[in-house]
Amino acid sequence: MTVVQLIFREIIKRKLNFTLSLLAVVITVSIFVSFFTTGQASKNETIRLMRDIGFNLRIIPEKTDMAEFWKTGFSEHTMPESHVYKLASFKGLSYAHLTAVLQRRIIWKDMDVILAGISPEVPSAGREKTPMFFSIKPGNVYIGFEVARRTGLKKGEETDILGSLFSIEKVLPESGSEDDIRIYAHLHDVQAIVGEENRINEIKALHCLCIMKGSIADSITMLREQLLRVLPDAKVLLIRAIATAREQQRYMSEKYFAFIIPFLVVVCMAWIGILALINVRERRREIGIMRAVGYGSGRVAALFLWKAVLIGLIAAAAGYGIGTGLALEFGPAIFRVTANMITPEIKIFYWCLIAAPVFCALSVFIPAMIAVTQDPAVALREK
Amino acid sequence: MIRLEKVSKIYRTRRGDVRALDKVSLDIKEGEFLAVRGPSGSGKTTLLFSIGGMLRPTEGNVIVSNRNLYAISKRQRAKFRATNIGFIFQMFHLVPYLNTVENVLLAARVGTKSFGPEDAKSLLNRLKLSDRMYHRPSELSAGERQRTAMARAMLKRPGIILADEPSGNLDPENAAEIFKHLVEYNQDGGTVILVSHREVVDNYASNVIYLKDGHIQEYE
Ligand SMILES: Nc1ncnc2c1ncn2[C@@H]1O[C@H](COP(=O)(O)OP(=O)(O)OP(=O)(O)O)[C@@H](O)[C@H]1O
Ligand SMILES: [Mg+2]
Repeated sequence: MTVVQLIFREIIKRKLNFTLSLLAVVITVSIFVSFFTTGQASKNETIRLMRDIGFNLRIIPEKTDMAEFWKTGFSEHTMPESHVYKLASFKGLSYAHLTAVLQRRIIWKDMDVILAGISPEVPSAGREKTPMFFSIKPGNVYIGFEVARRTGLKKGEETDILGSLFSIEKVLPESGSEDDIRIYAHLHDVQAIVGEENRINEIKALHCLCIMKGSIADSITMLREQLLRVLPDAKVLLIRAIATAREQQRYMSEKYFAFIIPFLVVVCMAWIGILALINVRERRREIGIMRAVGYGSGRVAALFLWKAVLIGLIAAAAGYGIGTGLALEFGPAIFRVTANMITPEIKIFYWCLIAAPVFCALSVFIPAMIAVTQDPAVALREK
Repeated sequence: MIRLEKVSKIYRTRRGDVRALDKVSLDIKEGEFLAVRGPSGSGKTTLLFSIGGMLRPTEGNVIVSNRNLYAISKRQRAKFRATNIGFIFQMFHLVPYLNTVENVLLAARVGTKSFGPEDAKSLLNRLKLSDRMYHRPSELSAGERQRTAMARAMLKRPGIILADEPSGNLDPENAAEIFKHLVEYNQDGGTVILVSHREVVDNYASNVIYLKDGHIQEYE
C-alpha cells in the first residue's frame, strides 16, 4: 500500500472528518477570494470616483477676513488675474474646471446686488469637459431671478450698469440662494466698470486631482504648500468631495480585511488541527499496526501531512470558485460604479493553490507529530 | 538467533512501578518453535514486543540476528521489523478501511523487497481466503480475520513470526487452523514464538517456557 492509496482509502472510510476539514478550508478560501476580488473593485472604484469628482479648491487673497468672506460670499481684497494662469500651468494638480472671478456688491436700481465677473474657463490639458461655469460674452449679462422680478427686466432687453450698457442674455431660474440677486458678466467687463483692471478676488478650481502619490489627505497638504509657493499672496480653501469619504471607507474595509482574514485563518487552522487530532486518536491502533509492520516516522507523518495538502488543494479550487462566484453575484450591487470591474482574479487562484495546502499542512503538524511519537506497544495492547 | 540478556522491563505508573520482566535471559535458535505460556499479567506480551523491537527494555540487551535491537536507531529498527519480523495479535489489528488483499499488502512496499498483489493472493489462497479477497475486515469472520492477519505477517517471509494469543478470540477449530499454519511456517524454516494460554500448543512447539511475574519458571 502506498501512502496515497492509504490516504484515499481512509478518506472514503471517515468521510465526516474529511468533509468537516474541507468545509472549514473552503469557507476560509471563499471568503478570502470574495473579499479580495471585490476589494480590487472597491480600490478601482475609489480611483474612479476620485477622477470623476476629485475635490474643489477656492483660492482667495491672503488678507481676506474669513468672517467677512463667509458672510458676503467673496473677499473684499483682490489679487492679480495672472494667478489663474500660474495655477493652470502648475504641475502637480489636474483640474476639470478653472475660472477667475471678481465679485462686488453694488446698489443698482435701489437694489443690493452682487456683480460677478467670470472669466471663460481656462482649458485644462488633454481632456475636453463641458463647462461648469457660465461662459458669458463681453457686453452680455445673466441676471438672477430676484433681480429680474424686482426690476421687471426681461431676456433680450438692454440695461445700464454703472455707466455701461449690457444686453440681458439670460434670466436665471430661481435658485433659492444668493445667486438670485447676482448679475453675471464677463470678467473683463466687471473689471472695467468697477475700476479693477486685471484684478480678481477668487479662483475656483473644480474637480481637482493631485498628481501625487499617497493618500488624498497627505497629498492635499503637500499640494497646499506647493500652491502657496506659486501664489504667495493667496489662501487656499478646500472643499472636500466625496472621494475623500470614499477613500476613508476603503481604508476601513481594508482594515476589516486585514483583521478578518488572519482571524479566519487562525480559526480555520485550529479547526482542522482539532479534527486531525481526533483523527489521530481514532487511528491509534491503525498507526500501531503500521509501526509493527515497519512503517517509519516519515511515512506515518506523511499520511497526515499529504492528506492535509490534499484538503488544501481541493479547498483552494473549490473556494476560489465559490469566492469568485459570490463576488460576481453580490459585488456589483455593492460597488455600483465599478461593477464591471469585478472580474475573476486568476493570480489569487495560483496564490491559494500554494497557500491553502501549506496552511493545512502547518495546521496538522502537531497532530501528525503526536501520531509519530505515540507508543505503538500501548496502542496494540488495547483490547 | 534471538538472544535476551538479563532483560528487565519496568513500567513506571502513578501507582508505582510494575516489573513486567525481571532479568530474563533466553536463547532461541533459528527454526525453533517456542511456546510461551503463563498466567495473565506475567509479562508474555511485554517479552514478545521486546523481541519484536517494539518496546525498549529498561535493562538488558535484545540481540536478534546479530543485531543489538535497542542500540540501533528507531528508523533502522523499523526497517529491521519490516523485513525480519511478522506480528500476529489476538485482536487481529486489521486496518478497517482496507480489504483483505490490501491489508496483506500493508507493508508490501516497506523495507527492501517489494511484494505485489499476486504474492498476496497466492498466500490468501493457501489460507483458504480466495473468495474473501475484496472483503473488508468487518465483513469477515473471526477466523478469516486472523488468517488475513497471518497472511500479512507471512507475506515477506520474515525469519521470525511473533504471535500473541492468536487463538484468543477463536473457537478450537479456527485455533487449530492457525496453529497448523504456524507449524507449516516453522517447518519451512521460520522461527515462531507463540504466546498462548492453550495447553495444546505444547504439542506443536519444539520448546515451551513458562512465565510468572516476569521470570522464566521452567525451560525445556
Ligand atoms: N503500559 C503499561 N503500563 C503499566 N503497566 C503495564 C503496561 N503494560 C503492561 N503492564 C503491566 O505489565 C505486566 C505484564 O503485562 P503483559 O501484557 O506483558 O502481560 P501478559 O502476560 O501478556 O498478560 P495477558 O496474558 O493478560 O495478556 C502486567 O502486570 C501489566 O499490568
Ligand atoms: Mg498479553
